[in-house]
Formats: sequence, C-alpha cells, structure tokens
Amino acid sequence: MSLLELRDLSVHYQGARGEVTAVRSVSLALEAGRTLGLAGESGCGKSTVAMSVLRLLPRNARVEGQVLLDGEDVQTMSWGRLRAVRWAAASVVFQGAMHALNPVHRVGEQIAEPMRLHGVTGSVSELLDQVELPARAARAYPHELSGGQKQRVMIAMALACAPRLVIADEPTTALDVVVQAQVLDVLKRLVSERDIGLVMISHDLSVLASTCDRLAVMRNGEIVEEGPAREVIASPTHPHTQALAAAFPTVGDPASRHVTPADAEPSGAADRPVLLRAEGLRVDYGSTKAVAGVDLEVRAGEIVALVGQSGSGKTTLARTLLGLQRPTAGRVLFEGAELPRSASGLRAYRRQVQLVLQDPTSALNPRHSVYEAVAEGLRIHRVDGDEAERVAEALSHAELRPPELFFSSLPHELSGGQRQRVVIAGALALGPRLLIADEPVASLDASVRGEILALLLRLRRDLGLAALVITHDLGLAWTIADRVAVMYRGELVEQGTVEQVLLSPQHEYTRTLLAAVPHHGVPEPDRTGTP
Amino acid sequence: MTAIVWQRRRATAGATWREFASQRSGLVGLVGLAVIGVLAVLAPFVTDQSGLDVTRLTASPWEPPSSSNWLGTDHNGRSVLLLTWWGTRISLVVGLAATVLSVLIGTVVGITAAHFGGWVSAVLMRFTDFFLVLPSLVLAIALSTVLPRGLGTIVLAIGVTSWPATARLVRAQTLAVEARPFIERARALGGGHGHVIGRHVLPAVLPLVFVNTTLTVASAIVAESTLSFLGLGDPTRVSWGSLLHAANMHGAVSQRAWWFLIPPGLGVVCVVLAFTLCGRALETVLNPRLKGER
Repeated sequence: MSLLELRDLSVHYQGARGEVTAVRSVSLALEAGRTLGLAGESGCGKSTVAMSVLRLLPRNARVEGQVLLDGEDVQTMSWGRLRAVRWAAASVVFQGAMHALNPVHRVGEQIAEPMRLHGVTGSVSELLDQVELPARAARAYPHELSGGQKQRVMIAMALACAPRLVIADEPTTALDVVVQAQVLDVLKRLVSERDIGLVMISHDLSVLASTCDRLAVMRNGEIVEEGPAREVIASPTHPHTQALAAAFPTVGDPASRHVTPADAEPSGAADRPVLLRAEGLRVDYGSTKAVAGVDLEVRAGEIVALVGQSGSGKTTLARTLLGLQRPTAGRVLFEGAELPRSASGLRAYRRQVQLVLQDPTSALNPRHSVYEAVAEGLRIHRVDGDEAERVAEALSHAELRPPELFFSSLPHELSGGQRQRVVIAGALALGPRLLIADEPVASLDASVRGEILALLLRLRRDLGLAALVITHDLGLAWTIADRVAVMYRGELVEQGTVEQVLLSPQHEYTRTLLAAVPHHGVPEPDRTGTP
Repeated sequence: MTAIVWQRRRATAGATWREFASQRSGLVGLVGLAVIGVLAVLAPFVTDQSGLDVTRLTASPWEPPSSSNWLGTDHNGRSVLLLTWWGTRISLVVGLAATVLSVLIGTVVGITAAHFGGWVSAVLMRFTDFFLVLPSLVLAIALSTVLPRGLGTIVLAIGVTSWPATARLVRAQTLAVEARPFIERARALGGGHGHVIGRHVLPAVLPLVFVNTTLTVASAIVAESTLSFLGLGDPTRVSWGSLLHAANMHGAVSQRAWWFLIPPGLGVVCVVLAFTLCGRALETVLNPRLKGER
C-alpha cells in the first residue's frame, strides 16, 4: 500500500466570478523512503494539491476524488482523527520560513509545540541535531537566525512527531544557492535515514532534479508529464517541461549557452571601447563596507554578469554605477569621463545608462498606464519628436506587439513577463547604451525567464546595447554573459570570460558557488580542462 | 493620449462614488452637508440682513419662540433663527479656510521631511513635535490675543495649531510610497525631486490628505466655536461660537432662555457630525485595509 495516494483529485474554488478549477483530476502515488517532486509555475495548482493532503484548504474549496493517507481517505476522516493525523502522520514545511515562525517565541518552544499537542515525547535538541543546528539554537528567537537556519528550524518542526510523510512547499525559494544546497542535503539525508516519504514542491526543476526520484510537472491544474526525475529532465517530452528545463540551464552545457561565438569573440570584445569603468570603488554604510574596492569594466556591446550571494554588495554596486548612491571612495567613469555630481549632469548620464529592476510588479507605478510608464523618461528629458511614436517603438523593441494594444493597460492587467518588458521598454525609450539589470528574471516564472534573457541578447545584437546583469544565478550568467565578475563580501574575487570563470574557477568562493548549484541528470562537464 | 487618461480617471471617480454611495452613513453626512451649504450660501438672498441690525428691531428682548420669531429672540430682540442661520456662514468659512491652511502646511512639511530626509527631516520633525506638544487651544488663544482681531486671525490661529497631526500622517505615507521600487525607477530614468513628488508621491498621498481634510474641518469648526465662545472671535460678525458667548455673557441661563443656547449648539453638532460621517466613509473607500472590517 502506498504511503500517499491521490486518486483523481480535483479542487474547485468558489469565487466571486464563479467556480475556478485549481486542480484537475490529479493522480499520484508515493512510497515510503521516496521523494516525489511537484514542479510548475505560480498558479498551476501545486500548492493546492499539497494543502489538500492535510485538508488545509480554505472554506471556499470543493474537493473531488480521493486523498489516501496510508489507505485512509482524508476527506472522510472525523475532525478528531484529522487532528491526530495532522503532524503525527504527515506534516508540512511551509513556504517562506521568514514568516512562518512566530517572532515572539523561542524556536525551541515552537518545535516542541506539536509534540505537546500530540502528547509525544521527544527531544528538541535531538531534532535540531538532525537538521545540523547546535542545541543552543533552541534558545534563539527567529530574528536571531539566518534564512537557512530558520528553514532548518521549520524542517525540525515538521519532523517533531516523527511523521511518515513530509510535504515541503518551496522549501528553498528564498535562500541563496549555498544555503539552498545545505538545506537540500539535510532533506535528502532525512529521507534515506528515517524512511519517510517526501513531497517536494518547487518551480525550480534543478532543485527537484537533485533531490527527487520521481517528478510530476503541473500546468493549469493538470499533470502534463510524470516519470523518473532523471528521464523527465534529460529528455522532456511535453513542451512545457522543455521550457521549464531550459529556464534552468546547466553550467558548462553548450546547449544552454545562448551567446553565439560571433558575439563572444574574445578578440572582438577587447577592441571595443570601454563604456563604463569603476576604479577602486568603495561604499560604506556607517561601519559596514558594502562595496570594498571594486574595479570593473563594461565594454560597448558586452554583457557582463555580476554574480554573488545576497548581501555581497551587488545591488549597492549597481546603484553606485548608476549614480543613485555616492561612493565613499574611488570613481566611476563613463567613456573616460568621471560621473557628474550635479543634478543636470546626472540627468544627462541617465540617457546613456538605464536600470531594470528585479520585481516588475513593484517597479511600475500601479496608477500609471503602460503608455505613461514608458513615456515617463521621455517627459523627464523633454525629448523632442512624436512621443507616441517613440513609445510604440520602445514597446515593439521590447516585443510587446502591436504596441498600441498595450498603451492603456494598467500594470495589474499584465502578466509578470509583460510587466518586465514594459520596464525594459521604459529604459529603451531613452535610447541608452548600457542597461544595468538587477536580477531581471528572479521574480518571473520559469518559462518567461528564457524569453526575457533572449530579449536582452537580441537587444545587444540589434541595438548594440551593453548590459551589466546582476544575479545570484550562475546558470543565468552561463546563458547570456560574455564575462563574469564574482562578488564576495563587497569585493570582486574573480573576473574573466564566462568559460574561464565558470569552467575553471580559480577562487575558493567561486568553486563553492559552483558546487552548490543543483545539477540536472546530464553528465558533469570537465571542470579541469581550459576552454 | 490624454483622452485615454481622462477616460480612465472618470471611470475611477465613478467607481469611487459608487462605493461611497453604498455606505448609508456617508450619504447621510453628504446630504446634511449639502443642505447646510445651500442654506449658508442662500442666506443673503432669502433672509433680510437688516434683521441683524440692533437699531432696527421691533421685537422685544428674550421673547420665547412664537409664530413671528420661530426660535425666539436674544438679549437685543434679534431673531435667534436669523442669527443661527447667518452664523453658519462664518463657522463654515472659518472651518474650511483654517483646514485648507492646516492641511497645506501639514502636507508640505510632511512630504518635504520624508522626501529629503537627513537633517531637513530632523529639523522639520522637531519643529512639528514642538507644535504637537503645545496645547493648541492655549497657543490659539495667545495668537488671537496678540494679533489684531478679525476673521483672518481666527483662521491663522486654528490653521497654525492644527497641522502637526497631518504632517506626521503625510510623512509616514510618503515614506511608505518612497520605499517602493518605482520611485527608484523614476530616479534612474532621470527624474528630479519635482518629478518624483509631483508624479508619484503626491497622487499616492492625496487620497489620504483628502480624508484627513474632511476630518480636520470638523475639529476646526469646534475650535472656531471655542475661540469665539471665549470672546476671541471677530466681534463684528455672528458665528455660532459668538452666539454662545453672547448668551453666556448676557445671562441666557438665568433668563431661562433655552432657545438662545440650543440652536447654535445643535448647529455645531450637525456640521461636525456631517463632516465626520463623510470623512469616515471616504476613508473606508480610499483605504482598502479598512474594507474588510465593515
């Protein structure tokens, strides 16, 4: 008998605009000691599936089909039986460890809470030990722990009553690559040691590939592909799976590198004039050194990736290069001339260098239409000529066609990818020569990521636009960049061409980062050979 | 292009109005305000101002309500109904003017402090705190004693003492708006202070300011009545506060002339209640966080 079996499960939500079907006849099974991955984009119904296992769905949900936990149907359980099953038989690692812990209780008490409720005896320090946290962490309040530590506390909490099934909903989404790798290791070890069944939900195929035995890909509430994880990822059959797999490229895999050799010609790149140069740049916030002496060059028509963990000073560096933050020491040169300090000088500089922000939803004023958002820069700079024509041109460069159709849309009427295109169009309207993109795809769905990256490459080819792409994702750097600079604690520890840095890293930190990237089923590239 | 923008604004205004109209208390307040406003505007056209002139009176003082004087007469023999009617005008004008002044100062100080930050914010907010801790009535009394008596002085005294709360509110809202990434984008596009404040901050802050205004009017009218009651108002004009002052001075209580005390008092209550009802309803419409609690 399977530990968990979903038979023809459908979930409908009763909304103001009629009934919406979130999950459509999903059938899945999981044995003890196994890991099942559930992949899909936001809104595909994967979290609804997870919540239906413990009947945690909101009141307006209507469930059809069966959810069998150890052969017992969850839907027909009495309230008391359900309470006993929750946590003791199956538990959940909730999404977003930052908010799932109560800030006013010590984490030890929170781990002990389910044990107290179920009358189970157990030791908090033992549980903490299992997730590789010191026993004294039990005395800490959530704010005293890092993101990865909090996530491990959540896992310890899920294990408190020794359940046989654990459901992890996006357990590593908000975490850095290095921390993500540690958390995934903990989960993998627990599955094999304690013979529990793990359902892991993620939008990131590479995370699932490195932990799961079986993989199910969901789209619009339906399972479009299911099978052994390695097979699904190595040779996806459904186009949606292919798009998802392509969005998380493998470093070193030539197929996922989208820069054509002609673009990346090293000799050609060296001849191009230097567009932006930072010399000995330092930015201090009080006593913290956010940027501690950075030398960086971006040449015309070149895409440079700035890679680093969160807190490494990447964003501060970007803001300083844009002139939004004044450096403590050092200087920024654009075409050999130092960045002006006057307001009018900076304004002129902004026509050359533009910014694309991480989250397009918050980067657009919700009250402004697409037209207003794109025309904003033109109005600030009092650009001559036909405004509507320039807006239309910028929108079609950003591949929002036909542009007139989007003029009067408000941001909330667009999809995430379309919003990011509007942000890019707003930058393009000014005809800049360099784009500084801060995590341009981090908040987008997987299938849209590839499109936005392809757009950046096409803009480089068609308009000769250089870009400095800031990212925590080495795969992204591998996909589109000519050169990579690795940032660690405010310093650039390594920079060079993509092949040099990512295939034969010299610095210890670069190697750590690379080792932490989850790998697909494809064979490991030769790390020792020079490109 | 502006046609589309205006079309959208009309649609938004329509939606806001429908939501406002769905709240009965807000509608009651609005109707009350409209009635009072129309009465105040029409006073010179439907009534005879000469009835306020003590030298041309026919009725005797302290007459109780009768068919000729519906609300009786005051210590001079003037009709209390006429006095109260004309008092509406001054109370409303002073209340609105003082509110405009107060909200203007508060908004400018609040946005400036939040937008520029640093020492500008420190200086402005300490200045605000100074006004916040001063008992505003005492300050208003002091101001209207020092300055020449008149309508302008009352407006100034109320306006200058009631802005700190608005300033704090606007500052908080501005800080919240400026933390949003679209402000960073506007800056990166080359937008200066004027652009950021005019295009992004003000439109986001104005609804809040508007709600605050309707609520401030109510307290400004009360403040005006208080100052006039204390005898600090414009002695040449009739307002509800000055009516109560006169009633108090000339012994309306010992004359048992309840008809002289109640109408101006009720006037204050009605106007303040109407403004408060409107303000609360608007607040619910414009602040989505309050909607769930209805």
